[in-house]
Amino acid sequence: MTIKEHTVTTPGQGKKNNPKRRGLLYQMRKYKIAYAFIAPAVLVMLLVHLIPSAQAIYMSFLDLNTSTLLQYLRAPFVGLQHYQHILKGLISGEGDSLIRNLTQAIKNSFIFLFWVQGGTLVFGLILALLLNRDFRGRGLARTLVLLPWVVPTFVVGIIWQFIWLQKGGLANRILFNWLHVVDKPVSWLLLKNARTALIIPAIWSGVPFMTVMLLSALQVVPDDLYEAASMDGATSWQKFRHITLPFLKPVIVINMMFGIVFNFFGFGPYNIAVSLFSSDKLGRFVNLLTIAIVQQTFNNQLYGYGAAASVLMMVVALIFVGIWYRLFRSSMVSE
Amino acid sequence: MAVISKDSSMSSASYSKRRLISHWAQNILLIVMIAVLMSPIALMVVTSFKDRADITSSTAPLIPPVWHFENYREMWEYVDFGPLLMNSIVVVGVTTVVATFFASLAGYALARFPFPGSDIYGLTVMGTQLIPGTLFFIPLYLTFLWIKNHLGIPLVGNNLGAIILYIGFYTPISLWILRGFFASIPPDLEEQAMVDGATRFTAFLRISLPLAGPGIVSTAIYVFMTAWNELFFGYTLGVKTIPVGIRAFVQGAAGTQLRYDYMAAASVVITIPIALMFFFLQKQFISGLTAGAVK
Repeated sequence: MTIKEHTVTTPGQGKKNNPKRRGLLYQMRKYKIAYAFIAPAVLVMLLVHLIPSAQAIYMSFLDLNTSTLLQYLRAPFVGLQHYQHILKGLISGEGDSLIRNLTQAIKNSFIFLFWVQGGTLVFGLILALLLNRDFRGRGLARTLVLLPWVVPTFVVGIIWQFIWLQKGGLANRILFNWLHVVDKPVSWLLLKNARTALIIPAIWSGVPFMTVMLLSALQVVPDDLYEAASMDGATSWQKFRHITLPFLKPVIVINMMFGIVFNFFGFGPYNIAVSLFSSDKLGRFVNLLTIAIVQQTFNNQLYGYGAAASVLMMVVALIFVGIWYRLFRSSMVSE
Repeated sequence: MAVISKDSSMSSASYSKRRLISHWAQNILLIVMIAVLMSPIALMVVTSFKDRADITSSTAPLIPPVWHFENYREMWEYVDFGPLLMNSIVVVGVTTVVATFFASLAGYALARFPFPGSDIYGLTVMGTQLIPGTLFFIPLYLTFLWIKNHLGIPLVGNNLGAIILYIGFYTPISLWILRGFFASIPPDLEEQAMVDGATRFTAFLRISLPLAGPGIVSTAIYVFMTAWNELFFGYTLGVKTIPVGIRAFVQGAAGTQLRYDYMAAASVVITIPIALMFFFLQKQFISGLTAGAVK
């Protein structure tokens, strides 16, 4: 009886109050508790991310350096000068030592990204597939695979020094002393070798996370799909290509996107490189973009110029995310 | 499986033999890969017990003949590790608790209430992850310097500055992980509690927060692990946390003779807390991270 009354009266009431109910202010008042809940997070985001970012974008139009530091946001306004300076230098391939350093760092960053992302994906995928089988000691194997993950990235650089040591390092012991595949001990941290010496630890450090993500995706693939495919005479490759891969695709797409962005301007590679080479002045084959910008901004105290370079880096990341989203939209919004 | 071998064109015996070989080939590949993944860590541990001269000698055995346990005590004194550890525990501990709490509140609000602006807010949270650290840190650093010089609040060269920065830095990503957890908790229980007279906040504190326990644990571990690792901001702010102190030690020694023995011992000490926490809470941590990623 009461239910019926309720259903009868509600629509009438609703119709009468509808315009008011839909009003923004009404909604805001209705959910005012929500604003209280998000207030602390909004406050710290404003303080640390949003206001400083807005200031930094403004600073990129200022000539803010050692001599004008005290004037802060009242430093001389130079408009797009920093941007012109950087872009002209990058496009023409010449310019002062700052720009040459930046060009070199961009090239290094792309090479680094390509190998690290590719390597992490390939090894992560192989490990995930191997771990997704039934075998004795599976739990132990899964835990052991995660070990590199717990090593802090700046420690990763330190412990890989012990592998790359020219005398007594593990790499030269294996390649020179035991297998004799090189005719003299390799200087891993010099010149072009340094690139390999940086890429391998980065892959090593990134593989566990990729494996965990892929493994969790593999576990939701229903077994009967494979059984049905086997009965139809599908080969292992066909099963992988047409059953496994479609289930993995969303995880791969999302993880590659974040991996590329974080390895591009995050501080993981910075930590590994700075501790691996025991210095923040890196050779021409391992000078990554983040490291170059940090050097130029904070060590040379070129704050306006550094802000402009960071803005450009952010624009590149945004364009990349936009294109990635366009390409893989179906995998990214699968709900 | 039995059905497959019966229907297969191959004879059942050769089929299962091939399967067995491939099974063992895969096991061997897995063992090799795990050995490769573990060897740098094993090498770190072994190196930390070696004699200093043996580390850089190609003729010395890989496993030390004499284990130098005193490397650890000497490293502790040489690097002055105690204060570094103390600073790291304070900075990372406070950051983890506060950032996870702020993120739970906001994540809960985003999951429960379709309030005006919630979409924009969610997008902004994601957007903050696309801002390079080198961008927002420039004005932040200069502002912290200004505050220190003009108001005397020590935001540079003091734990306080790092704590404020880290809370802001880690809240958005934590919020994003936690939102999914609160969304998966049915709202009935809170509503029941509120009918019984609880306020929204007590209902959140008493009912939703404990139910989101695994998510909160994995978020907290994530924040702890990343903050324990943070080098650049801490270094520039002049905070004496472990990464910053060890970096100074490694770089300071670079000109002279590197103390590889102490570096290895320090590496082990730094990794242990993370490893312990990680392996005790591994299940929760991994299910927490993957729940958000695989839906």
